[in-house]
Amino acid sequence: MSTSSPVIDPILSAEAIAARKPGPFSLAGKSIVTPILLTLILLAIAIVTVMIGSKPFNQVIIDLFVRVILVVGLYVFIGNSGVMSFGQIGFTCLGAYVAAWLTINPMMKKMSLPGLPDFILKAKMEYWQAALLAALFAGVAALFFGRVLMRLSGIAASIATFAMLAMINTIYSNWDRVTGATSSVVGIPIVRSIWPYFTVAAIVIFIAWLHAISRAGLALRAARDEPTAAAASGIDIPKERLVAFVISGAIMGVGGALTAHSIGVVTPDNFYLSLTFVTLSMLVVGGMGSLTGSVLGVVILSALIQGLRFLEAGVPVGGSMLALPKGLQEIALGIIMIVILALRPSGLFGNRELTLNRNRSE
Amino acid sequence: MSYLSAEDVSVAFAGLKALSSVNLKITPGHISGLIGPNGAGKTTLVNVLTGFQAPTSGAVTLDGQPLTNLKPHQVRRRGIARTFQGGRLFRDLPVIDNLEVTGVGLGMSRRAAIAEAEAMLDWIGIAPLKNRIAGTLPYTDERRVAIGRALMGRPAYILLDEPAAGMSAPEASDLSDLVRRIAKSLGIGVLIIEHNVGLVLGLCDHIVVLDSGAVIEEGDPAAIRDSEKVRHAYMGTAADTVRANLEVMA
Repeated sequence: MSTSSPVIDPILSAEAIAARKPGPFSLAGKSIVTPILLTLILLAIAIVTVMIGSKPFNQVIIDLFVRVILVVGLYVFIGNSGVMSFGQIGFTCLGAYVAAWLTINPMMKKMSLPGLPDFILKAKMEYWQAALLAALFAGVAALFFGRVLMRLSGIAASIATFAMLAMINTIYSNWDRVTGATSSVVGIPIVRSIWPYFTVAAIVIFIAWLHAISRAGLALRAARDEPTAAAASGIDIPKERLVAFVISGAIMGVGGALTAHSIGVVTPDNFYLSLTFVTLSMLVVGGMGSLTGSVLGVVILSALIQGLRFLEAGVPVGGSMLALPKGLQEIALGIIMIVILALRPSGLFGNRELTLNRNRSE
Repeated sequence: MSYLSAEDVSVAFAGLKALSSVNLKITPGHISGLIGPNGAGKTTLVNVLTGFQAPTSGAVTLDGQPLTNLKPHQVRRRGIARTFQGGRLFRDLPVIDNLEVTGVGLGMSRRAAIAEAEAMLDWIGIAPLKNRIAGTLPYTDERRVAIGRALMGRPAYILLDEPAAGMSAPEASDLSDLVRRIAKSLGIGVLIIEHNVGLVLGLCDHIVVLDSGAVIEEGDPAAIRDSEKVRHAYMGTAADTVRANLEVMA
């Protein structure tokens, strides 16, 4: 037999392969039904909120949507790669400050952040323009950090991402003339309508789904489960991780911009250990390997947190107020997390996704 | 003529020589065997050939071009595939996705990769396993899925690391048929590492025997069967098994 031109086996002919192409939306158990259902759940929450018409409740749900954006951002990298990153909230910080720089009234900026370059000092953008640039800026920063970090694995990678978070926090806490250091940067236009937050959360869910069903998503999950075999299957693991890291960074950045517009004030410590802990808890409780888990983890834990806050503030019982001691919220949250993880180590949803068809999982 | 070769490859782990000046050549359409007692360096040699282990000295070349500095995924993209001892399937993924991953790793679209994966499962004869979760498969099927995964994108060479370990005689015979088809109808160059010496003698065109990291004998099955050195190498380790295997073949 000629060794340079192997015999082409008819079973593997181009025609046979072409005839087997599956439909575009039925790839590997990751059905388009999942992001649609998740979006509908958030839409229902938004409609109920508008119907209730309560301002404090409106703010609670805005916080919830922002958290959904952040936790889905975490899922894109951590869930698919299996690499625990403690640094993603650093990109949220970058995004929040971009929003502050670009949307605060130029007169105020001159006073509070005089070290900004002239073109930023003069800028006065709409919140959505600033949010897009925040995503871009955070994505570029993720590319910059990721090129180094993605070569690491396991605990070394996790520690390095934590170092990145600390580095960003330190820079932003000290660069007085550009970030206002640790003092609050005020004057960011507040967006009180719930719809921009809902819209971005829905878009982010679809982006995460598209990444998960893409070649990059499949390759990354394979590398997460069996890195040696993935490399032997032609997968460039650092590259696939970098792709997810950059998408995640951009999502975290837009989440940061919306955080800034939801409260109107930013300080570096808004985007540090406490937010990292809360968002990672939501991801882990929901199920790291599941988009459904990351969205519903936020909804479930946010409801719990609100319930506990309500009890901390005090409930009238008969003639007196019955209030839980302050700080119980964090303790109770910790206990709930431990219980959930003890009962379901891979989170409430594990690797499963919400679909109409039961037994769909990957 | 196309070939994959290890040239004077040596590997030392902290001063301990795992391989010393090993030469090996594989050509498309032919089945080569690599045998030797436990700890002879067989898997280390496969690791060197596939980019998982850098040689301390020597080179791996594909058609004369050096591969030595390439990473495992780059070696795979040059058409050199391998399987692992114990399968190393993506245990949480269905069988079809296990194959699809390699298609994707080689640059196919997901849909093209799925289509080729289905054709490959058919070709191997395990199409009914398509939607089974890989972690639930029996041992024998796991091996065949691992071979299917390695065959995606039609590599020029495939290195099989103990594909018959733990198989019964009829299962090993089925495996031999599959390996023959891979070489003869797909024209792929095969290197098979096996403890089942009988299987190797019955299957291979050319056999290399490693002992303590060095090639002690090579040649066609008849030459290996008659070699005193080979018998000696196996003495005290699995001598009886080997003799029994050799007698079965004789």
